[in-house]
Amino acid sequence: MSAEVFAIADTCFLIDWASWRRRNLLFSLFKTVFVPESVLREVRSERTIEWIATSLSSGSLSLFTETPDVIAFARSLVEKSKLLPIRGIDLPEAICLAAGKMRNYIVITENRGALMAAEILEELSGINVWRSLKLIAEALRRSLVKNDFREVFAEYEVDTGHRFPKKDLEEVLHELRGEA
Amino acid sequence: MEFRDIEKWRRLEEEARELRRREADWEFINSQPPRIRAALKLYVETGDMYVASRVADVSVEEFNELRRKAGIPNVC
Repeated sequence: MSAEVFAIADTCFLIDWASWRRRNLLFSLFKTVFVPESVLREVRSERTIEWIATSLSSGSLSLFTETPDVIAFARSLVEKSKLLPIRGIDLPEAICLAAGKMRNYIVITENRGALMAAEILEELSGINVWRSLKLIAEALRRSLVKNDFREVFAEYEVDTGHRFPKKDLEEVLHELRGEA
Repeated sequence: MEFRDIEKWRRLEEEARELRRREADWEFINSQPPRIRAALKLYVETGDMYVASRVADVSVEEFNELRRKAGIPNVC
């Protein structure tokens, strides 16, 4: 199965995207996005629950039930990450990373700990982890949004209270303009 | 794992922490009940929303709303 067919979202990602005016872009990028049960438990607002429930019913989102093998791998990732001299990861994001590695899903996250773990832990070598910056860039690259590039990223920051690191954003904008 | 990878992430974490400290609405944070206040301060220092939500004893989504009210950017 192609890696870009399925993604798995962590809590921070889903909550942020639920606030974004272009949130359904997510479903143009993946066949379905898995949502772990542990992520669902962290959602409370009517707006987010309604979006998730509607997307589950259309199949754009799918429920991911954590199995013992995924949880065991996730726990070992948490422990490994705590041995590093930088911020570690906690079980919810570790479950997404474990599922991503074991099932070849793209992990979508707004959690910097998850990005660090994916880059540093040998157990996660080859895993595909995308943050919003990359997802939005991909949507722009595929012309799923026609607006000015910078404006789209700015909308996301305003709607979600997110901040893209300046240098990373400029690099992405430079790349996109080069392709346009 | 290479030393330069760790150093790169350490530097990025420090930059993000500085941004959170600078942009946080400290008047709002300091006006909160002790549990919420402690959790928001933890978030400013670490950027770890899950742990902060457990300290605040609220869901991640509820904590995220508090984070936004406190003007703390989620840097990623």
